[in-house]
Amino acid sequence: MAETTFEPRVVGFLCNWCSYAGANLAGTSRIQYAPNIRIIRVPCSGRVDPLFVVKAFQEGADGVLVLGCHPGDCHYRDGNYYARRRYNLMHGFLDFLGVDARRLKIDWVSAAEGKKFAQVVSDFTQQVRELGPNP
Amino acid sequence: MIEQIRATAREILQNKTVDLVIGYEVGTRGATRPAFICSADEVDRLIWNDACTHNLTNYVRGKRVPPKRDAPPARLGLVLKACDARALNVLLRENQVPRGDLYLIGVVCEGMRQDAGFATRTLGDLQPRCQTCTERVPVVYDSLIGERKTSEVFETSEVWQELDRLGVMTPGERQAFWDAEFARCLRCYACRQVCPACYCVECTAEQLDPEWVGIGICTPEKRFFHTMRAYHLAGRCVGCDECARVCPIGVRLDLLNAWFRREVQQTFDYQAGIDATTLVPLATFKPNENLEL
Amino acid sequence: MNFITHVQLQDWLARMMKDRTVIAPTRAIEDLVRYQPVNSPDAIAFDFTRTAISPKEFFLPASEAILTIERVRQIAAGSNNPEWNVKLGEPELDRSQVLFAIRPCDTHALLALDALLLQEPVDAYYARRRKQTTLIGLACEHPGATCFCTSLSFAPDDSNGMDVMLYPVEGGYALEAQTEKGQVLTDNLALAPYRGERPQKTWLPAEFSVPPRVVWTQLFNDPHWGRLADRCLSCKICAYVCPTCRCFDVRDYIVAQGLGYQKIERLRCWDSCMAEGYQRIAGGHNPRPTKAQRLRNRFYCKFDYYPADFGALACVGCGRCIEYCPVNVDITEVLQSVAIKGETLATNSTRL
Repeated sequence: MAETTFEPRVVGFLCNWCSYAGANLAGTSRIQYAPNIRIIRVPCSGRVDPLFVVKAFQEGADGVLVLGCHPGDCHYRDGNYYARRRYNLMHGFLDFLGVDARRLKIDWVSAAEGKKFAQVVSDFTQQVRELGPNP
Repeated sequence: MIEQIRATAREILQNKTVDLVIGYEVGTRGATRPAFICSADEVDRLIWNDACTHNLTNYVRGKRVPPKRDAPPARLGLVLKACDARALNVLLRENQVPRGDLYLIGVVCEGMRQDAGFATRTLGDLQPRCQTCTERVPVVYDSLIGERKTSEVFETSEVWQELDRLGVMTPGERQAFWDAEFARCLRCYACRQVCPACYCVECTAEQLDPEWVGIGICTPEKRFFHTMRAYHLAGRCVGCDECARVCPIGVRLDLLNAWFRREVQQTFDYQAGIDATTLVPLATFKPNENLEL
Repeated sequence: MNFITHVQLQDWLARMMKDRTVIAPTRAIEDLVRYQPVNSPDAIAFDFTRTAISPKEFFLPASEAILTIERVRQIAAGSNNPEWNVKLGEPELDRSQVLFAIRPCDTHALLALDALLLQEPVDAYYARRRKQTTLIGLACEHPGATCFCTSLSFAPDDSNGMDVMLYPVEGGYALEAQTEKGQVLTDNLALAPYRGERPQKTWLPAEFSVPPRVVWTQLFNDPHWGRLADRCLSCKICAYVCPTCRCFDVRDYIVAQGLGYQKIERLRCWDSCMAEGYQRIAGGHNPRPTKAQRLRNRFYCKFDYYPADFGALACVGCGRCIEYCPVNVDITEVLQSVAIKGETLATNSTRL
């Protein structure tokens, strides 16, 4: 009997100027990374309302990634500072509600960090794969 | 104290400092309820006891609407406990009402009892939020009535203990706990309606375009609504716990908001409503802070 | 009338549970008794006056998919053209239901709802549940703190509308099957006949009477409604705990979608005229924008409009709204103040 391995559904919110460009760079450099991620491009990580993350989990995401510019390098100057505060709180709150903290990851990826992007996505996807489907 | 409250209310109504005084009165079947006094000869309805649990700041925005369309907004007198006064600061900070249109009757509070504000219920012990309250004296007022007595402040209460108990569970156990809570919820929105900080004209939960959450009274929708409401209150909730009191099913909303209050206090050293000028933590940032993500 | 002991009752319920869903009062959290499906007679709570939430949720569920549409795209054999195969579904109960220990007030509420929902055009979803549910009533032994059924001319031991009625007596209950549905459940019971008078309770005197419709009409623009509504929160607690409130919202949702597949549900959910947006219509106009208008509507619907349109009061005196309103909007206080104002109006008019 063939065993079906669980393939996690990962949703990624990428800011247009840094992390999305980083994803592009990974692509043009032909760096392989886990294909499970579904990318949603937003202008800035500060646009990512934590409720998007909640909705993503609600609609069946097994893992959610929020990637933005490095603090200090935001294209809009301070959007990612707000994101940092919001996710500091929201990550803990989701864990408090019973969504395993390891299913959400916030990280900073610049436009030049194609390799880092691929690494972050692959590592995260593997982690979520090990956690299993979102209950 | 009752006489002083009545005297102050009588004075500010007679000299037309305010058009309306919102306080507490005796209701039916032993309940205490909010009172709306519009003339000086009605002030004897006002009372003060350990069942004055309602957060009267909730009525401020609604009662500002004038009775006649072109009249100026009503000036209000409010009887405020310490927690209610902080809620008012939240409204002042968010520019929801000008300070000059309010006359605040601050009352020193020794705590409210459980099951207060409902018909036919016997009052219980001190409410958890009152057990750990270190304030007792409102932070903003125009007149202050009463004196701080040295009554005991509890180290902890059932709310914080329950938070700790949930904290050591596995995520799966916590999810089961919250799913059981949300499954009971009726989406009556009493929690939202009683909250002074929930004043959006159109609530995200009822928005149809975009539709964040459907109309269903099912666990996923309810989970979303409560997550969203707690998050929208982060840094703004003063901990009056009226939401938990009014819930007919006893959903543990006090725990949801307490979690945020504790985190905001520990991470940003901020308590909602201490003054009317400091920005809420989520509305500001420090470039070099080191926050765990 | 027969006599059933406590032990016989437990056995009877246990047998029922084998092939029916038995819904009975259980203690959910401390002090909160609710009707819920139970798997064992031990889970049933008997020490209650009336439950926190009314049992209307088993006839008008809080959320119900009244229509399910499943569309699957198929290519029929011998054809090149895909077509949509559409399957429609409506909610069905997979087993018949027994609602055990329903109080006379709650059954009265169902009779009041029947006056609207079983009248043409029939509400098929309500009708189906009503038909498939057998009501085993339990007469009250003492009044709840907020009960006022007798002031509305109802009685706490009224068996009207019950399929089987139980009256608590020494050692058990006096039992009477009143309808065919009830007899189906009681046929195989070997019970002794009840040797006693039909139990009657007269412990709750009527405290007031409901003002007649003409009084309500005269008081429509009375400033009393505005003052009452000052403290109202416009939450929906009173409507949601009430056994006769029945207003709802309906919306369609795509619940599943894939390549060549779509499942749509038409969701009908509780809503209440107390909510600010309830009556808002397309274009943004709201006929009842103020709290005063909405709160007034609640009482007029119950005591004026519903009796006029359907011949029944839309209030049964259970008092749940009094118990759960967080700001003490007390329906008996409203009824009494309307009655007093009515008398003043009558006195004034006779002077003319």
